Amino acid sequence: MATENDSGQPCLPGGLIPLDQWSTPDVSVRKTLRAGFKDILEQLRSGLTPESEAFESLDDLPSLSAKKLKRYAPEPDASAFASAILEQLGALRQQGVYNRGVSFIVVPPFSGVSEALLTLPSRVIEPPDNLFMTEQDADCWWDEQLGDDDWVVPELANFWLRHRSGLNLMKSFFARVALDSAGRGIVACSSWCWQFWVRYWPELHVGPLTLAPLDSERLTGWLDFLAHGGTGWSLTARMTNDGLYVLPPKTDESKEKYSCFMQDLANAARGNRGVAHAIWRRALRAKPEEDTEQDENGAGAGKTAECWVVPFDQLSLPGVPQSSGQQAGIVLHALLLHSGLTIDALELVTGITARELTMLLSRFLRADVIVQDENTQAYQLTPLGYPSVRKHLQARGFSVDGC
Amino acid sequence: MEELGLKGALSTITSDAIIEAVAVVALASLLIMAVQKLLPMLAQKLSGKPRLYLLAMVPLLRLVIIVLTIVMVVPILVEPSFENMLAIFGALGLALGFAFKDYANSLIAGIVTLYEMPYRPGDWIEINGQYGEVRAIGTRAAEIVTLDDTVIVIPHGLLWNNLLANGNDGTDNLMCVAELYLEPNHDVARMRELFRDVIYICPLTKTYQPVVVAVQGTDMGMKYRLKAYPLTPGDQTRFIADLTARAAEVCAAEGVKMISRPLLLQ
Repeated sequence: MATENDSGQPCLPGGLIPLDQWSTPDVSVRKTLRAGFKDILEQLRSGLTPESEAFESLDDLPSLSAKKLKRYAPEPDASAFASAILEQLGALRQQGVYNRGVSFIVVPPFSGVSEALLTLPSRVIEPPDNLFMTEQDADCWWDEQLGDDDWVVPELANFWLRHRSGLNLMKSFFARVALDSAGRGIVACSSWCWQFWVRYWPELHVGPLTLAPLDSERLTGWLDFLAHGGTGWSLTARMTNDGLYVLPPKTDESKEKYSCFMQDLANAARGNRGVAHAIWRRALRAKPEEDTEQDENGAGAGKTAECWVVPFDQLSLPGVPQSSGQQAGIVLHALLLHSGLTIDALELVTGITARELTMLLSRFLRADVIVQDENTQAYQLTPLGYPSVRKHLQARGFSVDGC
Repeated sequence: MEELGLKGALSTITSDAIIEAVAVVALASLLIMAVQKLLPMLAQKLSGKPRLYLLAMVPLLRLVIIVLTIVMVVPILVEPSFENMLAIFGALGLALGFAFKDYANSLIAGIVTLYEMPYRPGDWIEINGQYGEVRAIGTRAAEIVTLDDTVIVIPHGLLWNNLLANGNDGTDNLMCVAELYLEPNHDVARMRELFRDVIYICPLTKTYQPVVVAVQGTDMGMKYRLKAYPLTPGDQTRFIADLTARAAEVCAAEGVKMISRPLLLQ
């Protein structure tokens, strides 16, 4: 539907596409086989090596200071992202390929769409404190919420619990959206939550859109755009092992040799911008001979900055601690289905006792697979831990998301 | 034996040849033991399809080792001429045919098992009323482990004239059924919908596989069958227990009583 050219937004490379057109960035057969063998070896090694705890860097180059990291790989601008999404939706409507009152954007975790929707001037619909509602109560609640004005739901996954009393809000909402009687709004929905509900209701057709996956080309352009940060600086990033270039993006005039790091990054992140961004930040290194203080003050004077990138095989990412039963998978799956849960909600959803949950969650926290939000006390996955969690769940028969 | 020429064929065997053949057989036996121990151990650490593939390799590797051993040992002991081979295999055929008929029957069925694969290690099968997971496939018999952790040895020969039910047939998809009997005269459509929810909210359900709630009026009441797939076949007991417990909660909340045969008999 949208292409890189017609999206025209560097903060939304590839634009919005129909969910069923999403596909993972191309991976060579050799890399797929290598990744498969690596997964099997990791599973076999689990009993032979000590349990993996918080991961450490496998190289001895100095990490970038927080200030430099913020300059070279800043967090994406949520309001610019929101504007790009609105512009894309408008363009799609103008082209006549999308004419629904409620725009459904299904995105994988860490894509940043929820944060972006919060910056829009539309009314934000927050989930009720009590998600256990009867069918009648759920209908009444939505009647009150869905007015004639523009509204946004920043994360639909927060509106339900996988419990026999926690489904009614979603059922009522989907019924309205399917009938196109929910007014005008934009809904962001986690791809994991979406996957559950399309299995539950196979006839659910609401024309969901998603972000185009970031392949190596789009990813290079996007990270370069972030590094520019609107200030006009350009970032030169080279591999620590062979000096090959990663940034700036390759052009027809480029004579330098380029690394395949971006391809590896796009594959590891499965085109997910949030995950790719987190890994990218983890991979950046300062020059070993650089004096940190001097550099932090001096780099701003020039219009270019340089840093180094650690090869993928030296980049240790957090892994799911091995366990014999299914409890670890059940907890992680529940966190993904609901985009984060408190321990009380986890107990309701998984049926695992609070004591067992505490032990499991502490292991995940130590392994940097999850974090706890200080305000809401909800546990959420980390973007760096997400790829290994997804693989863990897929290998154990759990239903995984489609993007 | 004399007529078969066996005596002539065996007369050329020397003590050195016997020692060499015994060494080859011993080596092959050690190799088979290693394969039978190591591969299942490794498979226990894996999940999903890699586990099933690794388990399925055990009997195949053993067959390959046995065939190679025979191919190596026979020329060591006797000159591999047409007459000698005819004599040896003729005598072997007679011995197996008369003395070890049932044993040979199971051996041949074992080879057929490897070819037709009616069951593989990791499959959940039922034969002659015994249900369990195939743990190992031997030359003569297969071992299954029941849900109560009892090992049952099933001679492959039973395959010839018995019905065999295979629950997952080489995959990790095993349909489980939780059965409930409810008192009649309730809203069947609502109960079916609620039981469907029960299946979807169970964390052990493979939601990407079919989910069915069947209902049938019987003389014991309304019989509901909640059919779905657990995450792994090994989860079946917990899965059925979880579905049953959640369904019982729903019945209690809806005021629909569950019934059982002892209650009816009273």
